Amino acid sequence: MTPNDLGPLAGDGVKVVKLAVLALVAGCGASAIEPSAPRALPAHTTAMVDASPKERRRLVPPEVYLRAYLTWFGGLAPLDVQARARGRGMFDAWDDYLAALGLPDYRADLPRAAQSNTLMLATLGRLGEALCSRAVEHDLHGKPPAVTARVVFAFEVTPAEPTDPELAARIDVLHRTFLGYPLALAPPARASKLEALYRAVVAHHAGVKKPVLSPAETGWVAVCSALVQHPEAELY
Amino acid sequence: MTLRRRDLVRWLGAGAALAALPRPLYAAAAAPSEYFIFIHAAGGWDVTLWADPRVEKRGLVDPASTENTEIAPLTRWKSATLDGDTQTFAPLTASDSKLVLGPGIGDLWDVRSRLTVINGLAMNTVSHPDGTAFCATGRHLAGGRSPASSIDVALANELGTEQLLPAVAVQFPSAFVGDRLDRRAVPLRVSSAATIAKSLSRGTGYLDVTDRDAITALLSGEARELATRVTFPETFARVAAQEDALPRLLGDELAQAFTQKALQAAHPRFDYKARFQAQGALSAAFAVEAIKRDLVRCVGFALGGLDTHNQNYKQHAHTQQELFGVIATLVAELDATPHPTRHAAKLADHTHILVFSDFCRTPQINLAGGRDHYPNNSMLVISPKFRGGQSFGATDVEQVLPADVASLGRPLAPPDVLATFLHAFGIEPRTYLRDGDVIPEMLV
Repeated sequence: MTPNDLGPLAGDGVKVVKLAVLALVAGCGASAIEPSAPRALPAHTTAMVDASPKERRRLVPPEVYLRAYLTWFGGLAPLDVQARARGRGMFDAWDDYLAALGLPDYRADLPRAAQSNTLMLATLGRLGEALCSRAVEHDLHGKPPAVTARVVFAFEVTPAEPTDPELAARIDVLHRTFLGYPLALAPPARASKLEALYRAVVAHHAGVKKPVLSPAETGWVAVCSALVQHPEAELY
Repeated sequence: MTLRRRDLVRWLGAGAALAALPRPLYAAAAAPSEYFIFIHAAGGWDVTLWADPRVEKRGLVDPASTENTEIAPLTRWKSATLDGDTQTFAPLTASDSKLVLGPGIGDLWDVRSRLTVINGLAMNTVSHPDGTAFCATGRHLAGGRSPASSIDVALANELGTEQLLPAVAVQFPSAFVGDRLDRRAVPLRVSSAATIAKSLSRGTGYLDVTDRDAITALLSGEARELATRVTFPETFARVAAQEDALPRLLGDELAQAFTQKALQAAHPRFDYKARFQAQGALSAAFAVEAIKRDLVRCVGFALGGLDTHNQNYKQHAHTQQELFGVIATLVAELDATPHPTRHAAKLADHTHILVFSDFCRTPQINLAGGRDHYPNNSMLVISPKFRGGQSFGATDVEQVLPADVASLGRPLAPPDVLATFLHAFGIEPRTYLRDGDVIPEMLV
C-alpha cells in the first residue's frame, strides 16, 4: 500500500501524526529538563595546601628603606633630605653613613652589609628622628599649612588636649602612612602603646622653658619616630 | 616497660632540639675577659723590609737599597754596603730575641720579645680581595663572596655575644657567614671610627634621652609581640635584642667618647698627623677606648698605603714604619690601661693582636721601580698566649717563596695561623675553619 492508496484522508492523517509526535516531545521535554546549579565534581583525594611563610623576614635593603623615607617625607631627592635634616646636630651628609646604613661604600672599598646590626638601626633612627622633627616643624608648628598641603601630619590639630578617640584617629593617619594599613587592623595593644607614648612625651615636655616645639608637637615627633623605626617598616 | 610511639617521637624531638642549640649559649657562660684586635695592613706588604729581611742580591731577590728606598725617614735603618756605592740595611738583631727583622718594623722593635712572626705563608693568590679574605677567613673567595666567617666574627660568636658591640670592623674585611652563628656577632662595619660617634649622636632641641628610651622600649615590645605571631620569630627577636641595646648606645656618654676630638684627647700618644696612617691611628684609639669601656670583644681595622707598584715603592718602608708605629703605640696604650673587669690586670695581658696583609710583594724590582703582588705572606701576632720573640715558617733564599715546614710536610698557610689562634682560646678550629692545622709550637 502506498500513500496514494489512503485516498483523500492521507494528507490530513500525516498532519495529525506529526502534531501528536510534536505534542508528545514537547510534553516530555518540559518535565525532564529542570534548571539547576552545576554540581561539584566529586574529589578523588584531598590535597593539602601549605600557605605558611617559607622564608624568614629580612631587613629591607637600605635603598628601599631610604626610598621609603624620600616618599614619606614629601617626595624628596636624597640631597633634599640631606638639606632638610641638617641643623641642630641631627644629620650631616649621606657619605658619612653609607657603611653604617648597610650600603656599599666604594670610597672605602666596603661591600654591602648582608645583615642588620644595632648601629644600622641607630643610624636609621637618627635619620628618621631628624626627618620627623622637620616634618612637624613644617606641618604643625607656627602657622601650619592646610591639611591637604601637609607632608605627613594630615590631620586637624585642636588647641585642646585630644580625647582618646581623637588621638587614635590622628595616630591612625600616621600608621597608614608609615606602615601602610589601618591601626584598627594592627595587634590590639599597639594603639594604646602609641597613645601612651604620645601622652608621656607631652607630659615630659610640659614644663620645658623656651622649647623649640610645643609639648604636643614634640609628642608627634615621638610617634612619628616610633613608626618610621617600627619593625614592620624595616622588615619584609 | 613498653615504649609508646608518641613518647619515642617526643624524646627524639627533644634530643634534636638540644643538638640544635647554638654554641654561643655555652660560650656565653664562660664570661670571657679577653679582647681581640685584628689589623689589616691593606695593599700587600714587602716582607723583605721587616719580617723576612733580605740584604743581598740572590736569585730573584733585589733587596731594599738606597736606589729604590727613601731611607731618610727610617729610624731603624742602619746602612750596609750592597754593591759599590749602593747601600742596603743591616738586619735588626738583639740578644733578648731570636727575631731578625728589617727596618720597616720601626718602633715595634722595642717590644720584640712579645712579637710572634709567621713567615712563608702560602697564599696561592695575588688578588687583593682574595688574599685579604684568605687571611681573614682561611678560605679563598667563592664567586666574589667569602664562603666562611672571618676570625673576628668567630671569636665574637664564641666569646662576645654578651658584649654591647661584639665585633666592630673599621674598614676591616669581616665576614659573617652561616645560619648557625649568633646574630649578635654580626660585625658593625663602618668606614671610620668617627662614623660610630655620628650614628650614635642625636639632635638637640626636640626629643631627649627619656623620650628615646620610651620609643626604643615601645619598639622592642612591638618586635617581641610580633615574634609571637609569626612563623619565623627569629628576625623579630633579633630586632628586639638590637632595640634593647640602643638605649645604652644612645646615651650621650658613648657618643661623646667616640668623637674624633674625644678619642684624640683621650689617647694623645698616637700620631694623628702621620703621613700615611693618620686615619689608622684614630681607629687604634677607638679600639683602646672601646675595650677600656668593655663595650667590644673584637675590633678590626685597616692600616693602608702599602700597594706600591711603581715609584711610590720608595715610601714603602716609611709606610711600614708608620704602620708598625701605630701598633707600637697601641701596645703601649694597652700596657698603660687597666683591665675593665679584672682587678690589678692591665689590658695588654688580655688583649690579643693579629696583623696580616693581602700578600707580599715581588722580590724583584719591576721596570717602574716598584714591586708587584707575590703569593707569599707573613703575619704578626702579639699575644700573651703566643711565644714572643720567635719566628715560624720560612721562605727559600732565591725566590722568597714559602718553604715546607718539616712537621707538616708543606708550607704554612693563613688557615694554620687562624686555627692556632682559635685553639689558643679553647675554640675548636673545625667549627669555623675547613682547613688549617694547629701549630702548638707557636703557643706558650
